[in-house]
Amino acid sequence: MLLSCNKLKSHIKNSNDIDWLKIWDIFTVRTAEVENVKEVGKQIDNVVVAEIKKCSEHPDSDHMHVLEVDCGEDELIQVVCGAPNVRVGLKTAYVKVGGHIDGEEIKARPLRGVLSNGMCCSGRELGISDNHDGILELPNDFVNGTDLKKIYPIEDIIVEIDNKSLTNRPDLWGHYGIAREIAAITDHELLPLKLETIKNDKQDLDIKIKDANLCYRYCGLKIANITNNKTPMDMQIFLYYVGMRSISLLVDLTNYLMLELGQPMHAFDARVVKSIEVDVAKDGDTYTTLDDVKRNLTKDMLMIKNGDKYFGIAGVMGGLDSEILSDTTEVFLESATFNAGSIRKTAVALGLRTEASARYEKSLDPNLTDVAIKRLTYLLHRENPHMEIASNLTDIYPNKLKEGKIILKKKTVNTYMGKVLPDNDIKNMLEKIAFKVKVNDDNFEVIVPTFRHTKDVFIEQDLIEEIARMYGLENLEAKPLKLDLVAKEKETIFNQEYEAKKLLAIKYNIHEVHSYIWYDTELLKELGIEKKGVKVLGKVDNNILRDDLSLSLMNIVKNNFKNYTNFKIMEIGTIIKNNENKKMLSVIIAGEEKKLESNYNEAKMLVKYLFKVLKNQSVSFTENVNELSYYDQNLGKNIIVNGEKIGEINVLGKSYSNKLAKKKAIVTIDIDFYQYLKLTKVDILAQEVSKYPVVTLDYTVTLNNQKFIDLKNILDKFMSNLILKWELVGIYENKYTVRYTLGSKNKTLEQHDLVKFKERFIEHIKNNNLIIAE
Amino acid sequence: MEKELEELQSNLKKSLNGLTKEADVLNLKSEYLGKKSRISELLSGLKDMSNEDKRKYGSLINNTKKELENIVNEYLENMNNKTSIKFDDTIDFDIELGSLHPITIVAKEVTDVLKRMGFTVVSGVEMESEYYNFEALNVPKDHPARDMQDTYYLDNGMLLRTQTSGDQIHSMEKFGAPLRICSPGRTFRNEDLDASHENTFFQIEGMVIDKGITIENLIFVMREILREIFKRDVEVRLRPGFFPFTEPSYELDCSCLICGGKGCPTCKNSGWIELVPGGMVHPNVLKAGGIDPEVYNGFAFGIGLTRLAMMKYKINDIRVLNSGDLRYLSHFDID
Repeated sequence: MLLSCNKLKSHIKNSNDIDWLKIWDIFTVRTAEVENVKEVGKQIDNVVVAEIKKCSEHPDSDHMHVLEVDCGEDELIQVVCGAPNVRVGLKTAYVKVGGHIDGEEIKARPLRGVLSNGMCCSGRELGISDNHDGILELPNDFVNGTDLKKIYPIEDIIVEIDNKSLTNRPDLWGHYGIAREIAAITDHELLPLKLETIKNDKQDLDIKIKDANLCYRYCGLKIANITNNKTPMDMQIFLYYVGMRSISLLVDLTNYLMLELGQPMHAFDARVVKSIEVDVAKDGDTYTTLDDVKRNLTKDMLMIKNGDKYFGIAGVMGGLDSEILSDTTEVFLESATFNAGSIRKTAVALGLRTEASARYEKSLDPNLTDVAIKRLTYLLHRENPHMEIASNLTDIYPNKLKEGKIILKKKTVNTYMGKVLPDNDIKNMLEKIAFKVKVNDDNFEVIVPTFRHTKDVFIEQDLIEEIARMYGLENLEAKPLKLDLVAKEKETIFNQEYEAKKLLAIKYNIHEVHSYIWYDTELLKELGIEKKGVKVLGKVDNNILRDDLSLSLMNIVKNNFKNYTNFKIMEIGTIIKNNENKKMLSVIIAGEEKKLESNYNEAKMLVKYLFKVLKNQSVSFTENVNELSYYDQNLGKNIIVNGEKIGEINVLGKSYSNKLAKKKAIVTIDIDFYQYLKLTKVDILAQEVSKYPVVTLDYTVTLNNQKFIDLKNILDKFMSNLILKWELVGIYENKYTVRYTLGSKNKTLEQHDLVKFKERFIEHIKNNNLIIAE
Repeated sequence: MEKELEELQSNLKKSLNGLTKEADVLNLKSEYLGKKSRISELLSGLKDMSNEDKRKYGSLINNTKKELENIVNEYLENMNNKTSIKFDDTIDFDIELGSLHPITIVAKEVTDVLKRMGFTVVSGVEMESEYYNFEALNVPKDHPARDMQDTYYLDNGMLLRTQTSGDQIHSMEKFGAPLRICSPGRTFRNEDLDASHENTFFQIEGMVIDKGITIENLIFVMREILREIFKRDVEVRLRPGFFPFTEPSYELDCSCLICGGKGCPTCKNSGWIELVPGGMVHPNVLKAGGIDPEVYNGFAFGIGLTRLAMMKYKINDIRVLNSGDLRYLSHFDID
């Protein structure tokens, strides 16, 4: 929202004492965030009132004129001007030679051979309006040579406030409310607004409210005999500076009031108004708004009806047929308050957020409506001395909003502020911002003005906010929390996630990635996989929540294959399975097809390593025919820890991985992380170590059409007291080398012990029909 | 005699000079110190000397012998520790390393700071109920935040949480008061993606509940966190804010780290960056968590971890974070 400091000044007594450039830093920490402060009009000087005395056509141009102007000096000055509205007798704005416009110096220079001493200018050239149709037309009673800046408020400071920081302050959506805050912050007096006195000795207007929960109040007033519909220049400049276009006095005044008080208003041509009713629309109806767009209505949209026809969308925008015309002399003024939520929903549904709806959404004070009408009438009257009030100020106000009352305990203030403040300080701080305060022994009885009581201030804590900001947040000391030496709750999820990821990154060079919680629709389509998961409403694609983390990572896999041949990624992420949140740890080892075996083995190794290091648990694998058909049906493995399945290792089916990248193999690991978290780390106990040396013996066994598991089974059946352990140490083609570590707790092994072992072992292998290299 | 002993030492040094093989040195050693060496000869000659000479030369010869031994041993030691290089030691190797996501690293840093201040780190869930995401947090039914435009509602009646603040309620329910928790996690808002907007991003929630918590405590903790995160004294500014779940509510700004407060595009020329929204926990939120607001009060705050990560690593396109593109992500730290 843009603010004019000239306008704010007009509401505060002795406002020139205030530094209007610096106040905004304080305003930011007291009230709302200021985004920008800009001085305007400083780039202009030596612009004076000048009257055209002579006007002749330029000898060498079809549109320029050579003027002689009187700018209050002894001699007339020759100026060349290209504007169409030049004529003898016109008073306009003239920039002297040496003067500035937009910071540019104006020099005497020939235009097509005729010397121009300075220039006459348009509103746009002066930066005070967007009108560039011709040079400025000034009233005839202006004295030639008068500096224009002395007549019009050209110099101003324009301030931009972040709208978001005003969402809970409906009272700050107009200059008057902001002026109230500044007066409070700077200890100045806020001036009352000048209002029209309306006698109400005429007829009431026909106004009805259908649902008092949707329209809180509706004020209407008819005014006749309006002959002057021209907006005074200073108001035009104000409107232009705060971002509005000047249209006509009546329209400008409604905007002016909105900018002044925050109350949106409407002026209808009274000739078309029959009776007003505020009611919701019918589903399926359409209505054409002021901007000439046909809108589809629903039964949730609040409408202004004239007779039985739609007349405007309440609080959002009027219609074409209600517009003020050039021959309008009689108006119907509307000033109403609507339900904030209803207006917001309507504006959102129509995609039509207007200055009015933005304010209604904030929950305006219904007690503003009549003030606004009286204020507008006063301002209109100033420009139309002969106008007539043609009706009563008709006020439909079913449930009057009353001031609020809060008992603020001194104890609460002291707790929140961390200190005891004198009663009078608290009273003063609140009264400066229009609260009324009665001091009691242990509390304050605070009366909340209605403009703070629509949604903002209801409980003690709301008042503490007011006290703290008026006290000055920067004046509060920062104080540490008291220390208590109690061991707090133990939650290890975050830590365990971090540990696992760090371990995998360091030991297995895996890169952590983040992916979205929904499947990529394109990818599913490409792979020909259909997923029926939980759906995100109102989202056209990427709207199915993932139930398989590894699959959802395939998008990332696919993209990385463009730059890498072999890579490993991981994520600990949420999947939604059976309508439940589930956390999974997925690792993907992606690489060339020929590396499938080593990558597959690495996956198993990695799982074992993870559980060994972080949980001290051993892992076994069992065959798993995956129910998900996009995984290879022969290579699936269950990961078993402590007798329970905790995850899977899979290989993406070849026909699927081919769609991601040619000749690649993708190994996936998925571990149920919630289950992982439940596993406690097994304590490691000291082990007794034999005093006697150990001996290792290597044997190489050749397998034909058998797997390691077959060899393992055979070896496990071979018993000897000497065996401490055996392990697989090498595979070459189908030759498997195993290493036995032998030892005894009671003695150093002797040659005959080893010979005996060797003979028995070889015999065992041979008996099982395997070939052993002796 | 003295002269001869000195010559023995200097001769030995000369002979050693340049020898590179251990065997050569050992040969030299036996030549100078062995049974047939001159020094042994001199030592055995002692017994034929007069008592006076014995006293005079005995120690001299013995000392020289020790000195000779020292020279040889020292030379040997130096030689052994200077292997003659027979392989190419100039080859440069790339280290192969994995990486953690920048958000993970920043989350770890922030939680570490909070842990040192006595906060427990908890974790919430991403699919959340409307109750925990809005209702219990005092967000009324017609609040704009509840609109479909901002929130991802699901067809099972749940939603994707728009904030980590729901963990305030979960934690109060689980642990009661007093309480000191923080909860890092992923949140979702219906946004169109561009360089600075994501629909999926990370926050961390913080909450303290105890008896007699003051606004001053909130200021202290928020400032302390920023100071620790940025590892320098940052200027902070508290200004009024508005959130339904806190009252009073505040925005904590910190002086822009890019321009130092002078004004630059990052801080929109204000010199300040909005970083930590927070405030005193609203009594309705305490009640929803089963805590009596007449006895306890507290404060809560949130920090945008995604924003923090982008600031820390000078990432200028937010989309990188969820891209999974290893060209960007693989070079981040592990710790």
